[in-house]
Amino acid sequence: MSFHLKHRLTHRGLQTVALIILLVGSTAHASAARPQTTLTLEAQTPQHAQLRIDGAVDEHIIAPVLTAFQAANPHVRVVYRNFSTEALYHHYDHLPDQDSADLVISSAMSRQYALVNEGHAQPLGASISDHWPRDALWRNELVGLSFEPIVMVFRQDLLKDALPRSHEALLEYLTTHREALQDKVVTYNPAKSDTGFTFTAQDAQQSPGYWSLINALGGVHAVQLDSTRPMLEGLAAGRYVIGYNLIGSYAFQAARDNPALTVVVPEDYALVLQRLAFIPRSARHPNAARHFLAFYTSEAGQQVVATQAMLGALHPATRGPGSASALKMGFGGSLRPIHLSPGLMALVDPLKRQSVLSRWQREFTRNTPPPDDSIR
Amino acid sequence: MMTSTSLARRLSLWLLIPLALCGAVLLVTAWNSARHTADRSYDRLLDAASRAMAEQVRWQHGHLWFDLPASALDILAPSGQERVFYTLVDRTGTALSGNAHLPTMAGHDHPSADFSTATLPWHGMMIRLGVRQVTPSGWGEPSPFEIRVAHTLEARDHLARELFMASAWRLLAMLILAALVVVWLIRRSLSPLRVIRRELRRRSANDLSPLALPTPRELKELVNALNDLLARQRGAHAEQQRFIGDASHQLRTPLAGLSARAELALRQEDPAQWHAALKVLHVTSTDAARLASQLLSWTRLHHPESGLENEALTLSTIARHGVVRAMEQTGFRHIDVGLDTEQGDATITGAGWQLEEALANLLDNARRYGASCITVGTRADPPSLWVEDDGPGIEAHERAELMKPFRRGGQNGPTGSGLGLAIVDGIARAHGADLTLTTPSRGGLRVTLTFRTPS
Repeated sequence: MSFHLKHRLTHRGLQTVALIILLVGSTAHASAARPQTTLTLEAQTPQHAQLRIDGAVDEHIIAPVLTAFQAANPHVRVVYRNFSTEALYHHYDHLPDQDSADLVISSAMSRQYALVNEGHAQPLGASISDHWPRDALWRNELVGLSFEPIVMVFRQDLLKDALPRSHEALLEYLTTHREALQDKVVTYNPAKSDTGFTFTAQDAQQSPGYWSLINALGGVHAVQLDSTRPMLEGLAAGRYVIGYNLIGSYAFQAARDNPALTVVVPEDYALVLQRLAFIPRSARHPNAARHFLAFYTSEAGQQVVATQAMLGALHPATRGPGSASALKMGFGGSLRPIHLSPGLMALVDPLKRQSVLSRWQREFTRNTPPPDDSIR
Repeated sequence: MMTSTSLARRLSLWLLIPLALCGAVLLVTAWNSARHTADRSYDRLLDAASRAMAEQVRWQHGHLWFDLPASALDILAPSGQERVFYTLVDRTGTALSGNAHLPTMAGHDHPSADFSTATLPWHGMMIRLGVRQVTPSGWGEPSPFEIRVAHTLEARDHLARELFMASAWRLLAMLILAALVVVWLIRRSLSPLRVIRRELRRRSANDLSPLALPTPRELKELVNALNDLLARQRGAHAEQQRFIGDASHQLRTPLAGLSARAELALRQEDPAQWHAALKVLHVTSTDAARLASQLLSWTRLHHPESGLENEALTLSTIARHGVVRAMEQTGFRHIDVGLDTEQGDATITGAGWQLEEALANLLDNARRYGASCITVGTRADPPSLWVEDDGPGIEAHERAELMKPFRRGGQNGPTGSGLGLAIVDGIARAHGADLTLTTPSRGGLRVTLTFRTPS
């Protein structure tokens, strides 16, 4: 039951740039190598070079950056394929020779790190700007491209009382309004989403109180989804009133379009996610990828990232809303960037996963007898 | 050995080569020790990380639980840039968890130790592997397991290089300093030689005075030897001067006599007087000529570059020739000259003309000192040549003195050059023969040249 959709967008500055978005099925469990969506930007010259990017970034987030890149390099045909983080990981874990992109971008930091640690990447060369923060670069093989706080999203219009602004306040709020919030809270399913699992593991490291929060989420029968976009859609539609642990870049963009959504960066601590990118060893056009990274990390590229993609511009020279420096200025003390370190790989360990997930499950269901049984 | 070899260069070479070798050995040692230190410090991290991991392994309900601490992985990457690997392996060698399947320790050094490390190539890179054997204690029947951790070598290489460079610079500076000191010391130690050389070169040909230079003990010997040589040269030089003086004096006396006699004869009118004067002039000039020829042979004998041209000689032949030649001379007309040679020839090597000259001188001496009977003899064993006469002989205490030139036997003896015995002595020395003067049983003198048998 897949359907094809073809439509044109015109970029403000470039009337001739054709954006062809191919939506090839949107089922969550497409086969490992099948992308959810594909975005192709045809080259504007008869002779063209090719850049293929595989990512776990929604295409409407990354499209402005790709468009700006092509505006600067009209001879490059850009193909972007959007995967789920799991599909992307399993695809590149087996080192594809046939179907390899030139750049792989994903928010599943642990998976990306594990792939590069195993030697699946080739050097980035001199593509990364010299001003790029050193802690967003590993071995010159893996680069962090974004700065995205993990946030809570509320439908203020549908909620009573003041909005909770910290984890502890959220716990109290969930406990106090337990009855009213049944099935109205949404969060990540750590068992199904690597990104969600990363948040869970990182949250658990921050405070033992996290398990009480899971307990409370279980108490309100929180809905578990595996990506941020459907959560935001549910919140916009009013199906949910509280969203916990959503990716900031998506949330900020959604809140910009829909004033009913209130995005809260927790005041006690807020995890900060980085999308990690590497050039696979099997890349066909590694130099095109380097070229793209050079553009992305340049000041011009970062301006687009900050203002249109809202991915959090890391370049220290980029100021204003949407830049990492502005976020640090606003929430300085509470931001907890997830470090680009070997410790990330602990999140990929199967036994560790098992142990964290079983704890999660235990805490989630502790105070909640299965509702189905009580009814029947 | 080439004559152009420089002592300074040889000394430098033999001191600097061991120094350089020493330096090379020290550098290698420094590198090894730097590596060792780096390995030891970073092996601690492997140890700590694997320990932290092992603490998170639990057996519960017969099931293995592993809550991998992220900090343990962070510890494994000391500079943050290393690739990091770990594997949890059960007793049977099956990997239970991990991000890679690390190999087990090949050729286990200490099977009893619970933690061991090794550097090995793996999947195209060099890794340092640490293996921890864990026997857990707990409820149920926990089974032993193994934790393998590894990282790539960037931090180790960096530390080892840093440590090595620090010690290498110090070592190099020390070696260069030592080399400079060695070269300087050699130049300084050899400087007395330069002083001696300059002193000797500065001297004129006639300056044979001893060297008076402050020299180290090692060179004192050389300076002493040089001074000895100079002293001998001085002696020889004085001897020559005296000889020339003596020779001139000897020649002047007959020449003055000749001149006076000729002048006296010219005043006479009588041819008979002239005849008598001419006879005297003849005898005197013959003596002078003989003296001159003796001087010549003395000079030839003492010329430093007159090598001894050696030939095989038979003593009896020389004796016979000497006797025959003597008989032909007028001076021997009234003297009985005999020959006493043995059966079986005594053969020696030497210069024939010199031995003949020596024999002629001995015969002439015997004649001049009034011998009436002279015997020339040879013996084969040991090879010897002797001349015996019945003249007045020579007192034993005079004998050594007579070996010197221009010394005549007797106070008022007959005319003679005084070179005869000195020439014989010189020839005897040149042939390595012993010259002995003895008094035979019936009086007179016996002069014997005893040659050494070539052994």
